[in-house]
Amino acid sequence: MTTLQGVEPSAPADAAAPDHRGSWIPTWSMVTTRFMELRRRKGIMITIFVVVIALPTVFLAIRLLLHAVDPKSYGVAGGANIFAGLVAGVMYVFGFIVAAMLGCTAGSIDLSEGMFRHLVVTGRSRLALYLARIPAGLAIIVSMVAVGFAIICLVCSFAAPTTVSYDGATVPAGLSQPAFVNWAGDHWGTVICQFNFNGPNFGNVECGPNGFVGIAKNGVPGAPTSSAGQPTTAQLRAAAMKIAAQNYPDYAAIFLSPPISLMVGSGLWLLLETTIGFIVGLGLGSLLGQRTVSVILMIVLEIVLTPLLSRNRIPYLLNAQRGLVGVATGHLEPNGLITVVGSGGGPGGNLRLPETTTVAVIVILAWLVGWTVLGAWRMAKRDA
Amino acid sequence: MTAVVTAPGGIIGSDRDQWAVETHGLVKRFGDNIAVDGVDLRVPRGCAFGYLGPNGAGKTTLIRVLLGLTRADAGTMALLGHEVPRDRAQALARVGAIVDEPRFHGHLTGRQNLQILAAAREPAAKGRISASLERVGMIQRADDKVSKYSMGMRQRLGVAACLIGDPQLLILDEPMNGLDPAGMREMREMILSLVAEGRTVVLSSHLLDEVERTCDAVAIVDHGHIIRQGPINELLQGASLALEVDCSEPDRAAALLAGTLVDANPVVEHLGLSVSFPAGTPRDVFAEVNRLLVEGGISVYRLQAIQASLESWFLQVTTRLGDPE
Repeated sequence: MTTLQGVEPSAPADAAAPDHRGSWIPTWSMVTTRFMELRRRKGIMITIFVVVIALPTVFLAIRLLLHAVDPKSYGVAGGANIFAGLVAGVMYVFGFIVAAMLGCTAGSIDLSEGMFRHLVVTGRSRLALYLARIPAGLAIIVSMVAVGFAIICLVCSFAAPTTVSYDGATVPAGLSQPAFVNWAGDHWGTVICQFNFNGPNFGNVECGPNGFVGIAKNGVPGAPTSSAGQPTTAQLRAAAMKIAAQNYPDYAAIFLSPPISLMVGSGLWLLLETTIGFIVGLGLGSLLGQRTVSVILMIVLEIVLTPLLSRNRIPYLLNAQRGLVGVATGHLEPNGLITVVGSGGGPGGNLRLPETTTVAVIVILAWLVGWTVLGAWRMAKRDA
Repeated sequence: MTAVVTAPGGIIGSDRDQWAVETHGLVKRFGDNIAVDGVDLRVPRGCAFGYLGPNGAGKTTLIRVLLGLTRADAGTMALLGHEVPRDRAQALARVGAIVDEPRFHGHLTGRQNLQILAAAREPAAKGRISASLERVGMIQRADDKVSKYSMGMRQRLGVAACLIGDPQLLILDEPMNGLDPAGMREMREMILSLVAEGRTVVLSSHLLDEVERTCDAVAIVDHGHIIRQGPINELLQGASLALEVDCSEPDRAAALLAGTLVDANPVVEHLGLSVSFPAGTPRDVFAEVNRLLVEGGISVYRLQAIQASLESWFLQVTTRLGDPE
């Protein structure tokens, strides 16, 4: 047996350096050691990695490979559509679930593994012990989701298609209006046959299933004709440029790669969703003191209750439905993503439960604050 | 080592700073069951104090109340002079405790578990981790995962967790559990060395032999009440006396003593005769026994006074006396 080196034994209690252990604010050391404790849980870390990093990475890698091997049969790996599908279809739903799993673990594991008692005996504020888990857990889940999201952004941007399929016609991407109109002049047959437009009927232009075939004898109605009654190339070119000018707004709304604004908005939206998943899971885990039950309840909330209640109006319960956090976050979904759980505001969105953005924000804040208060209260009052 | 100041009815002293632990009328109920029933306990500073009681007597519950792990229903208490729960943080700053079986995060190493606990204490606690591990003999296994530890190793880690706070008061609940004989001896020596440094150790245990070897004073708890407390030697003075007699004709000797000495309780055993006397009987009675036997024509080969043990005294004063177990 040796003595404690460098430790003056039995120093008077009041001589201890003030460490503010009664304060509700966690110390940096508490946050970093909690981060270490969560990070070393192999099971949950592997699960998070697989769901938010490996899954989209493998999906995109397979698409890259297939396109490289057989580009005619397989489309490019990235692009705005792939981005929208992965973000809203995979990262949003599964990001929430793994964040909730981590939260439930952080909220309950000290109790079930017997460390809670040791921590309480230190005299440290129980509220500080609870609050230390929030930055520690968020640092893990946000960084992992950020890595997965960054991979999606990179692949979808750099492996995006180089041409736009507009009204079935292949058009170069990213053209300005004059360039688009000039391109239309060079490809007047394609434009006349395939673009939608308001104006005279070019009935004399013969179009087949794959686009322009030839010019009918009667020429283009309303257009000057040659002596033979056929429209001149210049006339067709001018007509196509006119049509292109009409179509430019629709063309400009099509993105090959996800625009920066959409990527930023989607990233913030995913950040919000994972934060909600973690905070609610943390509160529920602390409240129940059990990880498994908490995780099951969170999964039920995300993949059963939220889709169910967001797609069906229940008379007299509309406000309660609006109070569902999934409905509120769905309301904040950036335009340009596919609709999630029937309540998204994106293209083709099916906003079954209309609510204002203010209400959605209030609902989200209420969930974050409410579950934090519940979890912290239970931790403060619980017998250790 | 601070002397334990006691009187038969309890511990004398009015200065709160004199006591490492002080409770008045402490009550803890679980429904209709009163686990701690009006406990008045005073543990002097700088001693090893045994807290004894049969299973279910309320030992662990009292410790949990003291440490703020559960709330008291009535009464007041103070640790190291700080009222609890009002000054709980200040009080626990210099307290280390093991309550029940020490459990830790199994996926972390012993050192990492201590890092988590040190982070919840004062900044200097982190610097004491290695010294604490070394002191409990765990430095070689400090970087192994706790899931690979034996029960005894977890006990040692629990003590190390106490030591990182440089505690003035250690409350150890059954710290010998899971330790092999060598480990128990090391634990005993460590407790004694901690006391020698001026720290106070409260040892809750039902291993009476270990408590007797380790502690200066004890409190006996039964059914939530403290029924005795004080220095062990003083308490044992109040225990009954016993005399072992090796003699010829033990049956006749027993009859002779029973008929002559009113308070004697002779019992013939396979090794001879055992005679017990009520507490407070003067030692002169031993000479009287010898005289009576010799004058009765019985050869006395050996006469030995038996020191009352904590165990025998414990069985006398607790309600478990006479229980089959």
